[in-house]
Amino acid sequence: MEFLLELLTEELPASHIRSALEQIEAGLRQELLAARIDIASLKTLATPRRLVAAGDLAEGQEDREELVTGPPLSIAKGPDGALTVAGKGFARSQGVDESQLEAVRTAKGEYLGFRRKAKGTPTSEILAAAVPRVLGSLSFPKMMRWAESPLRFSRPIHGLLCVFGSRTVAASFEGFRASDETVGHRIASPGPVKASDFAAYRAALAKSFVVVDPADRKRMILAQIDAALAPLEAQAYPDEALLDDLTLNVEHPLVVFGAFPEAYLGLPLEVLATAMRQGQKLFSVVRDEKQLPYFLGVADAVVDAKGLIRRGNERVLRARLADARFFWDQDRKVPLADRAAGLKNVLFQEKLGSYEDKTLRLKKIAGYLCDKLAPEVKAAAVEAASLCKADLLTEMVKEFSGLQGRMGGLYAREEGLPADVHRAIYEHYQPGSLEDASPASPTGAILSLADKMDSIVGAVGVGLQVSGSSDPFGLRRNAQGVCKVVLDRKLRFSFPLLIDRILAAYGDRLTLGRAEVKAACHDFFAGRLRFILEKKGYRYDLVSAALGPGLDQIVDAQARVEALDALKSSPQFEPFILMAKRINNILKGLPAAKVNPDLFVEKEERELYSTLSIVSSNAQPMIARGDFARAQGILFKLQPVLNTFFDKVLVMAEDKKTRQNRLGLLQSIAKMLLGIADYSQIVVEGERTAKPKAGR
Amino acid sequence: MALQDLILGLHRFWAGQGCYLAQTYDVEVGAGTMTPDTFFRVLGPRPWRVGYVQPSRRPDDGRYGENPNRVQKHLQYQVIMKPSPADIQDVYVRSLRSFGIALEDHDLRFDEDNWESPTIGAWGVGWQVLLDGLEISQFTYFQQCGGIDLAPVPVEITYGLERLEMFLEQKDDIYDLDWSADVSYRDLRLREEKEFSEYNFTAASVAMLRQAFNASHKEAARLIARDLLLPAYDMCLKCSHNFNLLDSRGAISVTERVKMISQIRGLVNDIARRYTGGKDGA
Repeated sequence: MEFLLELLTEELPASHIRSALEQIEAGLRQELLAARIDIASLKTLATPRRLVAAGDLAEGQEDREELVTGPPLSIAKGPDGALTVAGKGFARSQGVDESQLEAVRTAKGEYLGFRRKAKGTPTSEILAAAVPRVLGSLSFPKMMRWAESPLRFSRPIHGLLCVFGSRTVAASFEGFRASDETVGHRIASPGPVKASDFAAYRAALAKSFVVVDPADRKRMILAQIDAALAPLEAQAYPDEALLDDLTLNVEHPLVVFGAFPEAYLGLPLEVLATAMRQGQKLFSVVRDEKQLPYFLGVADAVVDAKGLIRRGNERVLRARLADARFFWDQDRKVPLADRAAGLKNVLFQEKLGSYEDKTLRLKKIAGYLCDKLAPEVKAAAVEAASLCKADLLTEMVKEFSGLQGRMGGLYAREEGLPADVHRAIYEHYQPGSLEDASPASPTGAILSLADKMDSIVGAVGVGLQVSGSSDPFGLRRNAQGVCKVVLDRKLRFSFPLLIDRILAAYGDRLTLGRAEVKAACHDFFAGRLRFILEKKGYRYDLVSAALGPGLDQIVDAQARVEALDALKSSPQFEPFILMAKRINNILKGLPAAKVNPDLFVEKEERELYSTLSIVSSNAQPMIARGDFARAQGILFKLQPVLNTFFDKVLVMAEDKKTRQNRLGLLQSIAKMLLGIADYSQIVVEGERTAKPKAGR
Repeated sequence: MALQDLILGLHRFWAGQGCYLAQTYDVEVGAGTMTPDTFFRVLGPRPWRVGYVQPSRRPDDGRYGENPNRVQKHLQYQVIMKPSPADIQDVYVRSLRSFGIALEDHDLRFDEDNWESPTIGAWGVGWQVLLDGLEISQFTYFQQCGGIDLAPVPVEITYGLERLEMFLEQKDDIYDLDWSADVSYRDLRLREEKEFSEYNFTAASVAMLRQAFNASHKEAARLIARDLLLPAYDMCLKCSHNFNLLDSRGAISVTERVKMISQIRGLVNDIARRYTGGKDGA
């Protein structure tokens, strides 16, 4: 039978809608499952004012038969088989006819009992209780109260529509009794709308200028954009995030096509796009990757017959572009190097000082990274570091903060600074996310690493924590950016030594000790790498194994997991893992022991020792280079020798010296293996291990 | 419709909603929220409805009268309804219709925007209201003020009068607005914008402003101790304005900024606590 739920609210932010729909679907499914109501289908939809669930549910619970047991038969019945006082009392208390009673055999003996036919509860009753629970437990990124209600929610609530099988469900939420009524579009058709099932609801709302399905609204937007741009043979500059937000910002989309004076095309594309998108949420229009003097907006309206919406948006955009051009002209009058002096008055973080302090550190950190990675760009990287934050003081970035970095790069180019320098400045906030591109230039990559690592080490060093969804300093994004740059460019540098260098640059500013900061950074990055590698599709246990040897080289984490992944289907892999685990199990908890070749007794242990020396001297250089696949291939050679060793040699020998010597031999093997991966983390056939929690 | 007709219309409309029409407050403030008619009255359980025009001073926004949209002093029409009425969005929409905007021909949007003022320990949740892409109002469910959770929750509606009037007159330049049939915004305000921009950015004496900040701060603390909370709050407003001027003069360093804001907030929170009957240190 059909189920329809709508919570009518004041305008919800797009991010809140997305999160609410997930919670509503999960919550309803969980409630229905627990109540044994079959779900044939269940979907969620939304507009900025409505959270909607619709589906096809069983009419009620299946009828059930349950066994009710009473007193032991010996008490309930007399020797004559007739019911005793106790037996009659049981029947009376349960409200059953004595004829329905029967003997029930249990593990503890025979009891008096009966079978009760329980009628299934109707779904409407289940929903009446479940719906308020699901809605009441919704949580949002930012919650508010209103009027005199104690409830915390995203925005104030205005009504509840809840019908099942064409009948109103007797639910109520926060003082709203469910009905079969809602309202239409706030401006175009604000009157009441009645609906007893989803098809009627959707049709009635459409008549009242509300398109309830976001997928329909998205299609309408795209079709209208196409229609507007077809004569121009132009395209809207693709911006999925903007399109998705706009889809959730309107109940009835109307694409508005407008123009701005061609003179503004002299502004950089970055500036034009940002001026259009930020605040006004407009799409840019391009042809052959060149900006045209047009824009597309999405209004929540039915028609723009008089062109007022278009003209209004044109006027607002003109004012913004006039501002932008003013900023562009003014900002270029002061060279970045002069502007950078003002960074002492811009706060980076309360405990970490100003952006001038940060700039001084960045020069040192970027210089250090160049020494390790690309000495040829050191001069450019250090110059870029000294200028990269100066654009925070430009009027353009004060107005459009999203242009930070890129604006500095553009101004540096206008000043005639070398390409290495202005490109590095332009790219140094990249990548903003895992989907974003890493800096294209090596100098940009180095500056990006320096900037992000400085922020992370500083924040960790003064005790700023990332917890759950709260990450005010953007540490998670920064760490993922670092990992992405390192992995994309396969950069080899010692991660702990870089942290040391950064700690030195901070001097005595940080509150946590050196070891503490390093440990926290290690754990934090291990967690981020696990997230990135699992996202790339690597098996979680292989990822754990790859992270086991630690993070001296970030880039090795991926190289290790790639090697394990490549070899995981080789016939040698599984026996090798089992062997490695066997060694680990033997050594578990034992203190370190030394190997002395003179103490070997059996020929098999001598053989193992000499094979190990050869394998080790071949594999070590490969491990050091990060060529784990080949190193692993060489390690497989230990397998037959180890097999024979375990067959013929008793490790736990009676004689203590012999035993210690053999354990020492196994320890040197384990140590070499740990140079590649922590094999004990890998799950092989026939083993079942619980998935470990992310982030250690 | 001239700007003064818009003001008259808003007065009439909100008086019709049971608002008391307050007079403009006579101490410089950065926003209508900061005047006592909002700050003190949103605290505590007593219902309150008020509407008033408040010039809002933002020294840093001065543009020497050369920018068609930005000024260092603009007008806000401030409305407080406490507790927030259930139909307040509809009432707001009716206010727009009341001065002749045929909303069917336009795009009216409530666009997520949360407001906060660290100086007076206040924040709220709500929207900026956009009309054809132009921000004409801030619409905020006030959650906290002076560091105190508000119950019942008031709603604050702030109309940007010049913005709205530019929309009504379909003009691109603020100085072209008609204040009345005979007087233009240019006549009234251009010279003021030029001179105050000069004052805000170059002429104001940093030494005098620092002295004034410190003196007001000290005075506020002294008055709080004597339980003279309204005069103490005036002193905090003076601190805040002097801070803004020092900022536009570029005279405030990083550490100072944090310190000065928290100095003002400390006093304001103390005032709010005492005003609502709590003792200090609570």
